[in-house]
Amino acid sequence: MSENQIIVHTHSSFSPLRIWTLATNTVTQLLRMKILAFLVAFSFIAIAAGFAFPAMSPEQQLKLLKDVSFGALQVFSIVMAVAATALLLPRDLEDRTLYTILSKPVPRYEYLIGKLLGVILLLGGSLLVMDIIFSLVVWLKQTLILSGTLAELEHAHKNTPENIAAVSAEVQRFGLTASLHAGVFAVFLKASVIAALSLLISCLASSTLFTIIVGFAFVIAGHGEQLARDYFFHRQFPGVWEKILSGVLAVACPDLTLFDLVEPAIRGEIITATALGMASGVAALYITGYMAVSYLLFVEKEL
Amino acid sequence: MSRKLLAALMFVAVGVLKLPLEERVAAYEREVHLMEKPLSLDLREQLGQEAFAASLGGLRSLVASITYLQAYVAFENVDWGKVDSLMTLTTRLQPREETYWDEAAWHMAYNAASYEQNYSKDRPALRNIHFHDYALRGVAILEEGLHFLPKSYKFYSRLGEIYRDRLGEPRKASEAFLKAYALGAKDFYERMGAYEMVKLSDRPSWEHAYQILMKHYRSGVPTASMLRDIPVLEQRLGIPPEKRIKPALQIPPALRARIKVPGAGQ
Repeated sequence: MSENQIIVHTHSSFSPLRIWTLATNTVTQLLRMKILAFLVAFSFIAIAAGFAFPAMSPEQQLKLLKDVSFGALQVFSIVMAVAATALLLPRDLEDRTLYTILSKPVPRYEYLIGKLLGVILLLGGSLLVMDIIFSLVVWLKQTLILSGTLAELEHAHKNTPENIAAVSAEVQRFGLTASLHAGVFAVFLKASVIAALSLLISCLASSTLFTIIVGFAFVIAGHGEQLARDYFFHRQFPGVWEKILSGVLAVACPDLTLFDLVEPAIRGEIITATALGMASGVAALYITGYMAVSYLLFVEKEL
Repeated sequence: MSRKLLAALMFVAVGVLKLPLEERVAAYEREVHLMEKPLSLDLREQLGQEAFAASLGGLRSLVASITYLQAYVAFENVDWGKVDSLMTLTTRLQPREETYWDEAAWHMAYNAASYEQNYSKDRPALRNIHFHDYALRGVAILEEGLHFLPKSYKFYSRLGEIYRDRLGEPRKASEAFLKAYALGAKDFYERMGAYEMVKLSDRPSWEHAYQILMKHYRSGVPTASMLRDIPVLEQRLGIPPEKRIKPALQIPPALRARIKVPGAGQ
């Protein structure tokens, strides 16, 4: 290289590679916080629920296993979405890594997107692992129930092909189906929206505790948003205050019940691709909107 | 304009823009039965139901399972008050879960009622009153369940059984069995409805019962109960002898000895 040559480094204002680096670092950061310890707890809960209720009917046994496992899965994903996101900015400030990153030519929106993507990756990865564990336990349970029922039919000399087919169809309907995975995906969408909302709150908040408390308040209100919306649009109230309050709630909170596809999944109903697509679209709208607001707050935040 | 004000405006704009989209997605999910439709209850009841569900933040199913298990423990401890309140809570949490309503009614109308009658230390008159009250409680649970699942033939068949076996009301039992059949229950329930109508004392009921039983008689193998009731109805309705069935030829001797033909006008 001659001395007269000038090296020009072009700097793009948006770099997916930089965002990916930030996201993977966020995953590493969260893993170091031992945030995935709950996966072990989930495994214990799923296995315990799988073999805890032998006195019930096969249908009830499978329903209880799915209820308990999905309940644990939802609690863990929501807690992780709120807590992990609430911890990110304060931890980066405390470790001074935030200053190191932002002193480089990294726009603040890239930093925010990278952080959120990291949390979403972690949520997706852990839900995938939980889905695999859950599916294994459900499959094992339904196999045991089916073999037990078939043995009973054989013992009673009623193991006709029609009876065997009917029993198999019934157990399979309440056992492992594609809808269960769709239910897990819906949980992932809900957790991702909650993570984006928590990041927004975190940009406003002065403490982690504030973010966590307000985040959970939004989660609860988000499950009642449909009720508020319904009252605002479709019902007559005696007073205006109720109308105003329901309107404010409907505007401020995301409708988290749109992602509640777990109950039909447990009942063995088919969750259509259109329903999943619509839920994904709504989740994308929430996340994009909340990220835009987060950026406007974060860009003025004194660090 | 400060960025914070802009952020607030954008937050409100996102909130307003999302509303029609949320309405559309919710409408679709209701259409394909992935989301529960608004319940046709009075406003107060509906508010309580929906607010309660919302307060649990998507964990309704799990909480319902827990209260169901608690009710099962209360059943093992024969604590009927607790069984009733916990099963009521369970059905409130998952009002579209048919099994919960059915089991709640079964606990009251069968387990609690029988326990009161057979093991209670009260005076016999009181035992009978308690038996009757628990049976009526079972009926009330199923009728409440029908507000949520009006097309449940399981509820109507259970109602028919309670009216027949616990309350001795053949008219209501027959209506419930026939309704269950009309909603998709097996043929068996239509015959059950007819057997109950045979117990009534009015001619239109006998004619209806005769019509149903003859339909089943002609379409398949007659059951012992059909062969018991059809001759009774033929006699009551004055069916000409040449049109009457010949049950004696079809009943095996071992079965014939066990069949008691009730008299007309019962």
